Amino acid sequence: VKNERNPKAKERDTKRKLEIHKTTEQKTENKKRKRSHSKQRGKRNIDDEDKGGEQISKQKKNRKNKKTKKLLTEEAEGEGYITKQKKKRRPQVDEENANATKQMTPEGPPKKKKRAKVSESEDSSSEKESSEEEEWKVTALTPEELEKLKEAVDEKKKLITILRGKPWPMLKKLQTLKESHDFLEKFEGALGKGKAKKLYAYKVMMLKRWMKFQRDFENFKTACIPWEMKIKDIESHFGSSVASYFIFLRWMYGINMILFGLTFGLVMVPEALMGKPYGSMPRKTVPRAEQASAMDFAVLWDFGGYAKYSVLFYGYYNSQRAIGWLKFRMPLSYFLVGVGTVAYSYMVVIRTMARNANEQGGGDDTNFNFSWKMFTSWDYLIGNPETADNKFASITTSFKEAIVEEQESRKDDNIHLTRFFRVLANFLVLCCLAGSGYLIYFVVRRSQKFALEGLENYGWWERNEVNMVMSLLGMFCPMLFDVISNLENYHPRIALQWQLGRIFALFLGNLYTFIIALMDEINLKRKEEETVKLNMTVWMANLHNGTLAENSTAPPITADPADVPRGPCWETMVGQEFVRLIISDTMTTYITLLIGDFLRAVMVRFFNYCWCWDLEYGFPSYSEFDVSGNVLGLIFNQGMIWMGAFYAPCLPALNVLRLHVSMYLQCWAVMCCNVPQERVFKASGSNNFYMAMLLVILFLSTLPAIYTIVSIPPSFDCGPFSGKNRMFDVIQETLEMDFPAWFGKVFSYASNPGLVLPFLLLMVLAIYYLQSTSKTYKKANAELKKKLQAQNEENKKKNKRAALKASDPEEARNSASEQQWHQINNNASKKEMDTWGCKN
Amino acid sequence: MVSPAIALAFLPLLITLLIRYRYYFVLLYRAVLVRWVQDLLTGLSREERAFQYILTHSIPGDPQSILDTFDHWCSKVEFISNIGPKKGKILDRLLEEIRPLTVLELGTHCGYSTVRIARSLPLGARLYSIEMHEKNAQIAEKIIRLAGFDDDTVELVVSPSDEVIPRLREDYGVEHLDFVFMDHWKRCYLPDLQLLEGSGLLGEGSVVLADNVVFPGAPNFLRYVRNSGLYELRLHRASLEYIRGIRDGMAELVHRGVK
Repeated sequence: VKNERNPKAKERDTKRKLEIHKTTEQKTENKKRKRSHSKQRGKRNIDDEDKGGEQISKQKKNRKNKKTKKLLTEEAEGEGYITKQKKKRRPQVDEENANATKQMTPEGPPKKKKRAKVSESEDSSSEKESSEEEEWKVTALTPEELEKLKEAVDEKKKLITILRGKPWPMLKKLQTLKESHDFLEKFEGALGKGKAKKLYAYKVMMLKRWMKFQRDFENFKTACIPWEMKIKDIESHFGSSVASYFIFLRWMYGINMILFGLTFGLVMVPEALMGKPYGSMPRKTVPRAEQASAMDFAVLWDFGGYAKYSVLFYGYYNSQRAIGWLKFRMPLSYFLVGVGTVAYSYMVVIRTMARNANEQGGGDDTNFNFSWKMFTSWDYLIGNPETADNKFASITTSFKEAIVEEQESRKDDNIHLTRFFRVLANFLVLCCLAGSGYLIYFVVRRSQKFALEGLENYGWWERNEVNMVMSLLGMFCPMLFDVISNLENYHPRIALQWQLGRIFALFLGNLYTFIIALMDEINLKRKEEETVKLNMTVWMANLHNGTLAENSTAPPITADPADVPRGPCWETMVGQEFVRLIISDTMTTYITLLIGDFLRAVMVRFFNYCWCWDLEYGFPSYSEFDVSGNVLGLIFNQGMIWMGAFYAPCLPALNVLRLHVSMYLQCWAVMCCNVPQERVFKASGSNNFYMAMLLVILFLSTLPAIYTIVSIPPSFDCGPFSGKNRMFDVIQETLEMDFPAWFGKVFSYASNPGLVLPFLLLMVLAIYYLQSTSKTYKKANAELKKKLQAQNEENKKKNKRAALKASDPEEARNSASEQQWHQINNNASKKEMDTWGCKN
Repeated sequence: MVSPAIALAFLPLLITLLIRYRYYFVLLYRAVLVRWVQDLLTGLSREERAFQYILTHSIPGDPQSILDTFDHWCSKVEFISNIGPKKGKILDRLLEEIRPLTVLELGTHCGYSTVRIARSLPLGARLYSIEMHEKNAQIAEKIIRLAGFDDDTVELVVSPSDEVIPRLREDYGVEHLDFVFMDHWKRCYLPDLQLLEGSGLLGEGSVVLADNVVFPGAPNFLRYVRNSGLYELRLHRASLEYIRGIRDGMAELVHRGVK
C-alpha cells in the first residue's frame, strides 16, 4: 500500500501542507514544531550513543514524551491523505513503477560501525514490512499477527525518531517519514479491537479539537496584546531597531497603568469621595486674592487656581487620620502608595533585566565573521520593498566593509587615525556637554534673580526661560552629537549605544540642575513659611481680640476659609513644577514631531513638483526615526514621573495619557513621514541597555524624592502629613494606634540595629554566594563554548582532509557521514550549553 | 524680547546644520562666490577663464591631457559642473559596451563631455552636440577642435534642444540614435525625452544617460521613466563632480523597444 504512492500525490500533499502552514496559525505551529524538534534532537542524540536493547527502551520513553501535538497533527493529516489515496487508487502498473523508482533511489552510504548495525536491521525490517503489510490487510488478526503488528508499529516509531540522524538524502528521509506516519496511522488504531477502536477515534478527534482550540486561543492572545499589529507593521517597514522603541513604549505604558491604578484608586478617589469637600478648609479653598482669576484658562494651564486646590496636588489632602465610613487611613495610604510605586518600579525593572540577561546567551563570535554575515544578516521581518532594497544594500556594504576591515586589520595602519577621531569626537561631545551645563546653570541663576525681584515685572520669555532652554538643548544637542558621531565610524549598533550614553549624560545634567534649582526654591519657601507662622499667631490673636472686645460669651467666630492666611506649601510647588515640566516636555515632543517630521514631509512631498532640485533624495529629504532620542526622552520622562509623583498624584495619570497619545501619534508619524534608516540594523526587542538606563534613572530620581521626604519637615498647614515632624512619622503613629501593643513592641525589637545589622549581613552574604555561583556557571559556559569551537576547528580540518581524498568516492562518502555525525554532536552540545545558560 | 540664553540654545542647531551640510556650503562658495569674485576681477566669463587655462596648460590634440587639465582646473581653481572623472568612467564604460554610431549630446557647455564621448567612439561614429548659449558654444568649439576632433566626428549645434530635436531627422539626416547623453537643464530632461520619443529616433537598444538626476535632481524625469515602462532604468550612484560629500547619480535608460 505504501509503495504505491505516486509522486503527483505526494506533491499535492506537500502543497496542502504548505497551505496549512501559510495560515495565521503558522507562528504557534512553528513554535510547537521547533520545540518538539529540539526535544527530538536531544533525545535522538542520547539514543545514538546507546546501543541495542537499551535504545528500544529509550525509544519507548521517548514515545511517551512525544505525545506532542506535532506528531498528532501530522498523523491526522496523514489520515486525510490516506482516504484521498483510497479514492484515487491507481492501477497496478503505476504501483510497479513506483516500486521500480524506489529501488532506483540510491541507498544511504555506509555509516560508522556503531550505527551501521542499527540501520541495517531497520532497513531490513522496513523491507520486511512492505511484504507483511499485504497480510495485515486481512481484517481478522490472529494473536500472533497482532504481536507482529505491534512490533512493526514500534519499529516504525523508532524509525521516525532516529530518522534525522540518518545519512540519507533528504528526499528519501521525507519519504520514509511519511510512509512510517501513514503506517502508524493505519495500524496503531487497529491494535485495539471494537470498543478500543472507537475510543481511539474519539481520542484523536478530541485531541484535534483541543489543538484547534489551543491555536485559536493563541491567536486570541496575540490579538489581545495592545498595538501588536501596529508594532509588527512598523517592524516590517523599518526594521527591528525602530520597533524596539515601540515595544519599550508599550512596556512603559503597562507600568504606568499600574502606577496610575495605585495612585488613582488608593489616593485620589478616596480623598475625592470621602474626604472633606472643597471649601471646607483653608487648604481646600482658593485664597481670596486668587479667586477672581482662578478659573482663567491661562491660570489653569499653569496648574494654578482651581487645579492647584484639588486632588491633583499634595496640598489639598487633609491630615485627618481616618476618613469616611470606611475609616480609610488617608495619610498612611498616601505614604504607602508613594513608597509602593517606587518599590514596584524597582522590582519590575530588575526582574525584566534579569529575564533579559538570560536571553543573551552567546557572546560575540568573531571566529566565523563572514559566515555569520552570510547566514544571519537578513532581517526577515522586513515587508517593504524599499526597506528590503536598503537592507540588501546595507548587507552588501557590510560585506565590503568587513572585507576592508579584514584587510586593514592585517595592515593596521589606519587604526591610529580612527582612534584619534574617536578621542576627538569624545572631546567635542564633552565640550558640548559642559557648554550646555553652563548655559542651564546660568539660566537657573538668572531665574532665581528674577524670582527675588518678583516675576510680575518680567515677560513670558523670562518666566519660561529655564524650561525653554532645557527643551531646546535637549532637542538640538542630540543632533549635534549625531553629527559628531559620524567621525567615529562605529557600527550603527555601537554608535547607537554611544549616542544613548551621551544624550543620557546631557539629560541627566539638565535634570539635576533643575533639581538643584528646585531645592533652592524649597529653602526659600520654608523661610517664608516661618514668617507666615508668626503672622498666623498674630492674625489669630487679632481675630480673638476683635471678637472678645464685642461680646465675650459668644462662641469664637470662624473666618471664611478663603481669608485665612496660609503657608506657601512647598510640596505643592514641587508637584506643580514637575507637572509643568512634563507638560512642556510633551508639548515640545509633539510640536517637534509635527514640524520636524510632518511639515517637512509635506513640504518635501509637494514642493518636489516645482523645485529646482530633488527634495526627496537631496537636501531636506524625509527624516529618519531617531531611536536614541526617543528612547531617552521616554526614560527621562519616566524619571520625572517617579520624582514628582509623591507631590502630585496626578502625574501617573498624565503620563498614561501622554504615552497613549504618543503611541498613536508616533506610530502614525513613523509610517507617514519617516523613511527607513539607510543602514538598517538589527536590535533585540528586549534591550537590556534601555533597562539599565531606566534603572539608573530610577535610582537617581528616587534619590532626591527620598531626600526631601526624609530630611525636610512637611508644611504645617497643607498635605496629609501636616502637623507632623517628618512624613514617615505616619508609620509610627499607625503602629501605636491601630495595632495591638505587642505588635509595636515586636516591631521596635525588629528594628533594633542589633537585629537589623546581622540580617543585612546575611543578605550580603547570600548575594555574594549567588553571584559567585553564577560566575562559576558562566565559566563553565565559556569552557563548553571553547570546547565547541575546538571541535569545529577539528571538523574543518577533517573536512579539508576529506576534500583532499575526494578522488576516492568511498572514502569521501565515509567522511561526509562522519561530518554529519559531528554536526549532530555539536548541535547536541550546543543544546546542552543553552540549558546551562538558562540555569545560569 | 527674547533672552540671550534662549538664543544661545540654538547654537547647537546652527553648528549641526553647518557640519551636516558643509559640502553644500563648499559648493555654494566655489560655484557662486568664487565665480562672482573672479568675474568681477577678470572681466571674463568662467568658461573663458577655463579655456585660457586649458590653452596654456594642456597638450593640443591629446584628449586625455585636455580632460586632465579640465579636471584640475575644476577641482583646484574654480568650479564648473562637468561630468567629472568618476562619473566619466561610467560613461566611458557604457560607450565601450554599446559602441554607438550615432550619439546625441544635450548640453555641451564647455565641451568636456563632448571630448570624453568623442574619444571613445568607434570609427565612423558621429556625435551631435547641442548647446543653447552662443558664447559657451564658441568656447566648446575651440576646445573640441583643440582636442583634435573634426566636423565629421563632432557636430556642434547652437540652438535650444527643444527646437533641434524635432528637426534632427530632416536637417541632419539622423534615422536612429544609439546613445543620448543629457546634461543640460534638469527641467528639460523630461520634455526632451518625450520629444525624442515623439520623433521616433529612439528604438530598441537605444541608451539614454542622464547626469545629475539626484543632485540637483530631476524627480519628474525619474518618475516618468519608472512609470512609462518603455525603459529599463539603472541608477548609477556616485558623488557630485569635484565635491566628495554630495551624493549624485546618473540614470541609465535602455529602451525596450515598441512592440
